[in-house]
Amino acid sequence: MTTSARMWKLVLIVFRRRVLSTRMLIMLPILFLFIPGMAWGFSDPNIQLPADQIPETAAETMFLASIGIVFAGTMAAVLLAHDGISRDRQSGVLELRLSQPMPRWRQSMILVIGNWASIAAPVTILLLISMWLVGYRSDMWISAGDSVVFVLAAWFVLLWYTVFALLASSLAKEQGSAIAFSIGLWFLFTLLWVLFTTLIAALNGVAVGESKDAAYSVFEGRLDLLSPNGVYHHLLETRLDNVNRGVSATGAFLAALAWTLFPLLWLTRRIKQLVP
Amino acid sequence: MAGGSVMDFSSVMFRHKVPAPKWYNPFKKQRGAGIAELDLTLQSGQIVGLVGTNGAGKTTLLRMMSGVLPIESGHVSAKGTILSGQQLRKRVGFMPEHVRWSGQESVEQTLVEFALLRGCSKDSALDILGVIGLKNRASSALDSLSQGMRQRLSLGIALLGTPDVLVLDEPFNGMDPVAIDAFKRLLQSLARKGIAIVISSHHLFELDQLIDTLALLHRGQLVAHGTTTSIQEKLGFEQLTEVCLDSELPDKLMKKLEVLEHSSTDVAHHMILQSVPENLLKDIVESGIGVITWREIQPSLIELLCAATGLDRQSIGMDVENSAWLPMRKIQGEEE
Repeated sequence: MTTSARMWKLVLIVFRRRVLSTRMLIMLPILFLFIPGMAWGFSDPNIQLPADQIPETAAETMFLASIGIVFAGTMAAVLLAHDGISRDRQSGVLELRLSQPMPRWRQSMILVIGNWASIAAPVTILLLISMWLVGYRSDMWISAGDSVVFVLAAWFVLLWYTVFALLASSLAKEQGSAIAFSIGLWFLFTLLWVLFTTLIAALNGVAVGESKDAAYSVFEGRLDLLSPNGVYHHLLETRLDNVNRGVSATGAFLAALAWTLFPLLWLTRRIKQLVP
Repeated sequence: MAGGSVMDFSSVMFRHKVPAPKWYNPFKKQRGAGIAELDLTLQSGQIVGLVGTNGAGKTTLLRMMSGVLPIESGHVSAKGTILSGQQLRKRVGFMPEHVRWSGQESVEQTLVEFALLRGCSKDSALDILGVIGLKNRASSALDSLSQGMRQRLSLGIALLGTPDVLVLDEPFNGMDPVAIDAFKRLLQSLARKGIAIVISSHHLFELDQLIDTLALLHRGQLVAHGTTTSIQEKLGFEQLTEVCLDSELPDKLMKKLEVLEHSSTDVAHHMILQSVPENLLKDIVESGIGVITWREIQPSLIELLCAATGLDRQSIGMDVENSAWLPMRKIQGEEE
């Protein structure tokens, strides 16, 4: 068996372990409530949204429903992967893993892909259900191109949070610190980022609070490139008409690539130098 | 029992990074204790016992030997070829000190997972189950295993891929006496097959019965390595002999002896002799005295360790090495 074949078998082992874990059982109803639940709500023909925002296409409805991925999907990714390394470190299994001849970069890839796939699989299924729900409820069916971008963007954001959680897990000596670090990062990008953006905008003299102010939109759009959730939304916005936040589709894609590569390289380097 | 050289460690060195927080950098680290330029040659089929006090660097050395910790300077070679970290890991099977196996995975699934990491087949992983005596527990969840079974599982993982060298850190921990006996037999049979084994253990009695050579580690340095006899000679130990006779020795013979201890009862006369003159046993037998016991007394491993390190036997058990194993140097104005 080739090293790559062995690697994929090990990915499957990590995937199975995570998917069949108790925490996945706890998170599945939450994911169901947030992802198809949001799609169900936003596809209501009589929906009343603030600022008279009425979704006019299936892609717009799915864009609004993407908040379910931002809140529940990324949190689930963090909760699944936060002990990917620290648990083995505490039990002593890490020492055994590090003494195996499989190159450490491959071991880090096994962790990343296995943990990511375990959250990406249910989220993808729930996203597909959401797309069907939107079509069924509003009679606006999402195009194949849009659905591919929405699924790919979700895969990206889940990958980023999985890598952050594994990085935290590799840095922390015990699980408490690993989860504190991971949740802290999730909290920053998911909840505090708005505050951060507003603060920076205000300091730069941009009209904060004017949601339709073009300068604020562009400023916020550019600052969002520094946040994984922001980049996720930029990727989704490439499929929306009449949205201009100062970032092109290529820019959004390059930012997604950067958010993928740099943390992955950092994690691989960490695992190469890891000591039990 | 030992064959040719299977692995050479030449001037290998590793130092741990220890926290040294400063007000301007709370995460600052500096180099602390570790292993200092250590040379060791492992022979095929040889069982080496690694002995040292707490903090002497035994676990660090074993982790270096198994490729878990990097070798900062020096090199490891096998048959003249310098090994990379990955090549070293391929040749060494490692059993760490504390592995708390837990979870719902079965013993078999765990072995298969590590077989994949090691690059060996599923069948060979299943064969190991028989070797470590866990065939009947193949489908048991890790959570349900006793401490001894968990130790066996760790040993099974170390044996995957038929390593040239087996590195065992405190393998007897948590094992009952019967399991220890079986474990020792297993190690002896592995050694007969040509695997070099390095064992660190605080179970000195078990270790003493098992090892071919002894490596005494102190403050990250190998202070002595060789057979117990050669270390005794090197450290200046004299051969003591315990003799127990059924009646008192005649004065003529007694005058020839250096008696360290002498005690008598109605039925036996017990002596510890510092040196035994030639033909003493023959003379005793010819004088019609019955010999109940005649045995050479070996110094215990603790005595050897005390002699090699200069530590006091009374306090050795409580002594924990400090990290100042090498003189601190100033590097760019900062203490290392």
